[in-house]
Amino acid sequence: MAGSALKRLMAEYKQLTLNPPEGIIAGPVNEENFFEWEALIMGPEGTWFEGGIFPARLTFPTDYPLSPPKMKFTCEIFHPNIYPDGRVCISILHAPGDDPMGYETSAERWSPVQSVEKILLSVVSMLAEPNDESAANVDAAKTWREDRQKFQEIAQRTVRKSLGL
Amino acid sequence: MAVLYLQAFVFIILLGKLMRKIFFGQLRAAEMEHLIEKSWYAVTETCLAFTVFRDDFSPRFVAMFTLLLFLKCFHWLAEDRVDYMERSPVISFLFHTRVLSLLVGLGAVDLYFINHAYYSTLLRGASVQLVFGFEYAILLTVVLMTFFKYLLHSVDLQSENPWEGKAVYLLYTELFMGLIRVILYVLFMFIMIKVHTFPLFAVRPMYLAMRAFKKALHDVIMSRRAIRNMNTLYPDATAEDLASSDNVCIICREEMDTNCKKLPCNHIFHTSCLRTWFQRQQTCPTCRMDVLRLPRPQPPTPPPAQPAQPPMPPNMFQGFQYGWLPNQQPQPEVPPGQSSTASSTAPTTSTTNTPLSSPPSPPFLPPMMPPSPFMPFMYPQPPSSMSGLSIDELHTMEGEERSNIEARIQWLRDIQSLLDGAMLLIHQYNTVATQCSMPGVRIPNPSNTSHSNNNTSQQTDTKNTADVTLNSGSLGGARPKTTSLSNNTKQSSSPVKTEKLGDLSNLGATGFTVTKEEIIPEWHDPRKEEEEEDLHEVRKRRLQKFSSTEGTKADNIDLD
Repeated sequence: MAGSALKRLMAEYKQLTLNPPEGIIAGPVNEENFFEWEALIMGPEGTWFEGGIFPARLTFPTDYPLSPPKMKFTCEIFHPNIYPDGRVCISILHAPGDDPMGYETSAERWSPVQSVEKILLSVVSMLAEPNDESAANVDAAKTWREDRQKFQEIAQRTVRKSLGL
Repeated sequence: MAVLYLQAFVFIILLGKLMRKIFFGQLRAAEMEHLIEKSWYAVTETCLAFTVFRDDFSPRFVAMFTLLLFLKCFHWLAEDRVDYMERSPVISFLFHTRVLSLLVGLGAVDLYFINHAYYSTLLRGASVQLVFGFEYAILLTVVLMTFFKYLLHSVDLQSENPWEGKAVYLLYTELFMGLIRVILYVLFMFIMIKVHTFPLFAVRPMYLAMRAFKKALHDVIMSRRAIRNMNTLYPDATAEDLASSDNVCIICREEMDTNCKKLPCNHIFHTSCLRTWFQRQQTCPTCRMDVLRLPRPQPPTPPPAQPAQPPMPPNMFQGFQYGWLPNQQPQPEVPPGQSSTASSTAPTTSTTNTPLSSPPSPPFLPPMMPPSPFMPFMYPQPPSSMSGLSIDELHTMEGEERSNIEARIQWLRDIQSLLDGAMLLIHQYNTVATQCSMPGVRIPNPSNTSHSNNNTSQQTDTKNTADVTLNSGSLGGARPKTTSLSNNTKQSSSPVKTEKLGDLSNLGATGFTVTKEEIIPEWHDPRKEEEEEDLHEVRKRRLQKFSSTEGTKADNIDLD
């Protein structure tokens, strides 16, 4: 049998396929490699990202449930907690120990209890409620804080772009 | 010359592509990324090496370095490929053949070059061959490591269940290889500094090797500690534990049947999963409790709460007629006769204004008051069933009841001392009264106390009080009787009832106070002047004593 990381990823894939959470689709890019996933996240309703469908890439380490995966949006998305290159900055994706922002307690960090589904749901709620305390994209955080109108415009533009319009 | 270089370069690239096709097939994106990233570092380091050996610079020298770089690329790819074994659900036969042949080929080439470097160094003295020899030695460790990993993964793939020992073996292999690499780098650094100059190009890989070694060492130590902890501190999960939880290991998301451990926080995991996690983090994956911080595991389940006192719900005094505990909150639904609850919290309230503190309670009371307020055994029965209460509730309840009971005992002690004082007082009073046979104070005759007095109505209650005191004194002063006797007069009885015996002092004091003010004038009998003074003296002392006792009682209340 294959390694435990693979087994767990397969189990999670099965779970996500059988009981997909609303607004989230995720699965391996190809069935040969379960350590690269593609996820499609719908912009939550009633937010600036409503209507958008944002693709992201999840990369799992070989020791997966012990170390967190990396998540990176493969589309343009203007959000205070997403780096300009698309990497997602949420605390549960940070392994305990390294603290890029210097504000998280270890209780917010990665642990094997987390799962792909939880990560994606966290990302959805992050889209709905940006946390400008720990900005990954400083421009976005500044705009979000000072000029909501402009932020909305940019967000709407990325939404249209994500739909290929 | 340039054309030759260019041609060689193109040739090498083509050869590389061919080799890649043979041994790897299509490269994955991640592999390509790693390759390019590492190549940049390698090229930079090669350029740095050129500066050290600028004297030996020749086409042959360049070719050697290019070949080294070329082989390095394949080593990295082989490493990545073997790592990929862990990720892929299906490993084809072709994959095994390719990896095996590649590893054997790389190992052979490395060995050949090491051999070559060794002999050339021996024959011609230290030269650039030293660097190559060393580089290939390092590459050989990479090959060995990769091969070992490959073996472990293959064994793992063969078996049906995840192989638990694999992680441990991997850890020790990494530690061992890390050690060899660090030794090699240190040796190399030492020789290079002696023979040539400081090998700047080797600093980065040396640093990385040392860091990897340190990490491997740390991992091994942590792993050992985790395993030791697991074996000694944490009990195996029993079948009941598994049945009571949802039976899925949160780490691997699989069913747990055997080989499970239970942490002090009651979370259950596979032993193997827990071990791998403990190598990284010494916390419970679910609740993040630090497992190393606890020197001893707590008992798996806290012992069921068995309070020493019968636990009572906090509101059990609701129906308690004579709720008088100082820390008892006055209940809103207290019946009129119970207004003492409020006044007892402020016992210093003057009892002389009896009409205030004793509302129309007497009509509701039977002629003989039940002695219950003073008898601890009259506590209401605790609720029969505790099963509906959680352990926490029971704990808080126990805590409350304990403090209540302590307060109660304290009060009873106070009451006892006050009673003793009152008895003493009564006896003295009695003696004095019989000796001088004062007109206002008679030898007790309970039946006609209130009628027989010929004083003004204003003085009635004063004398009643005195009578009561005398009565009780004559009756031996048993506490309950004192209370019951207080029924003789409505007004004087109310302080006793409402203030409890704790305020009997007040009763006595009241008697004295009033006597001093109103009765004493009547006692102007020149013959009894001395006795009067004695009486005065005694009264004063008693009053002082009582006021001080009052003070301590008030303190107690504050403390409560």
